Amino acid sequence: MLASASAAAKAPEPDSVVAALCESVDRFCARHVRAQEIDAAGRIPLVVIEGLAALGVFGATLPAEHGGGDLGLVGAAELIETLARHDRSVATTVGLHLGLGTRALVEHGSAEQHARYLPSLASGETIAAFATTEPAAGSDLSAIGTTLTEEGDLLRLRGQKAFVTNGGLACLFTVAARTKTSAGAAATTLVLVERGDKGVVQLGEERKLGLRGSSTTGFVFEDVALPRERVLGALGSGQAQLDRVLAWGRLLMSAGCVGTAQAALDRALRYTAERRQFGKRLDEQPVVRMLTDGMRARVAAMRAMVRAAAATDGETLARLSASAKVFCSESAWRVGDTALQLHGGSGYIEDTGLALLLRDARVTRIFEGANEVLLTQLGLLELSQRTTFAERTAGAVHELARRVEAHRQRLHEEQGVRVVRDKLALYRLGQAVILRDAALAAERTADPDLARAFANDALRDAVLHLGEWP
Amino acid sequence: MIRAELEGKVLSLISQLSTLKAHELRREQRLREDLGMDSVSSMELLSMVAEELDLDISVEDAAGITTVGGTLELVAQHYERSA
Repeated sequence: MLASASAAAKAPEPDSVVAALCESVDRFCARHVRAQEIDAAGRIPLVVIEGLAALGVFGATLPAEHGGGDLGLVGAAELIETLARHDRSVATTVGLHLGLGTRALVEHGSAEQHARYLPSLASGETIAAFATTEPAAGSDLSAIGTTLTEEGDLLRLRGQKAFVTNGGLACLFTVAARTKTSAGAAATTLVLVERGDKGVVQLGEERKLGLRGSSTTGFVFEDVALPRERVLGALGSGQAQLDRVLAWGRLLMSAGCVGTAQAALDRALRYTAERRQFGKRLDEQPVVRMLTDGMRARVAAMRAMVRAAAATDGETLARLSASAKVFCSESAWRVGDTALQLHGGSGYIEDTGLALLLRDARVTRIFEGANEVLLTQLGLLELSQRTTFAERTAGAVHELARRVEAHRQRLHEEQGVRVVRDKLALYRLGQAVILRDAALAAERTADPDLARAFANDALRDAVLHLGEWP
Repeated sequence: MIRAELEGKVLSLISQLSTLKAHELRREQRLREDLGMDSVSSMELLSMVAEELDLDISVEDAAGITTVGGTLELVAQHYERSA
């Protein structure tokens, strides 16, 4: 039996349920999560994992009938933002489990698969991971070389996976492999692999720039024999499943970026309110005010964008999650960098925690689709866009949306479908698209002053990306 | 160029983006489900065809194509129009 309508399509969970969970998690993290100790030790203490499990965090998005909290994407994003404000390794471990690790199982798993795996995943007794990247296949998923072939009653998995988040903790893996379609062409299949399956070999922990508390390992699958019941959905149906699972993964990662940026902003505001230079508090100085105002506006736009995307479904969710992923990962880096700058020399010292925020944030511009690849794809998707956003907006948001639409039209007229191969034009269009999406989201849900401030900044940046001058 | 020659060229381009050889392709095959293409590679296909045959195909027309047969028809229409 396939899981019914997706959780994201349901009415959003009551705010009070999400707020209560996030409040408990926030209190727990304030007491038990020490980001710098986690970074130094290279792992999350068991007491933290067990404590979060006891709060229901690992089951938050899993079905209630199997012990989960049944939260949709809106609630899950808020949960991950809360965790990321305390520590990005913890947020990544949980976010991976709730998104890429379990989403395909929840949405495409059979009743038998649900009964076998979901209860221990919901309790946190089992941690989930997702294995798609390979040494020779990163953002280009069509290059996956791991194969799943039919051999009598069994399936045989062969290949190697790299950079598996939660690799050292997980006991259940959703693995992307190549199979044959009925026509004989190569297609993608998602299959469940257990740590104990014969032939599953875990490689060593990677040493990383950041996210050191989050486990990252490789895996080799040496002729692993799997029963057919391990396939999620039908053989060869993995591409559509991947699109949806990646949308969850990207959006939860974006929510983590909001948490990181908020933590950086909070530190910057505290520091600039206390520190005096040239006879004045830093926050009384115009340049500092301009920088902190810009950070505030950007964080508000990031949060608005995640919430707007999380409330959608289908193709809109796929598009907006990619847009949010790029915007939020670039913005977390920018906000973190500004916060460090405002701390002067002390920002560069590990003890202030800003260096750790930046180190942890860096990889989000790379994983779950490198930003440059996603920007090119967003530019391509924009070419098929029929909605005219400019009509429904005003001020700088209107001008930004109008310019994107005019640029799109010009590309259509000048190149037709050949523009699909003009990657530089698509990349530039993608840069303007994410700014438009963020400005639109902020206009709808953020504080009006912050939304206006962000829209002015975004318009200026978009004009540069499109190679036009006002 | 006669129709068979035109179709041969298009099938050859499709096979470059699929793991099937040109002679294994059938009109009813779906680009995504049967040939393992994604939305990006199916648009890439039409872009390659437009470039190779010097045709003006719009993005809207290309986005609506889902099968091998649909691709062949669209290309034939544009080729006849441009001849």
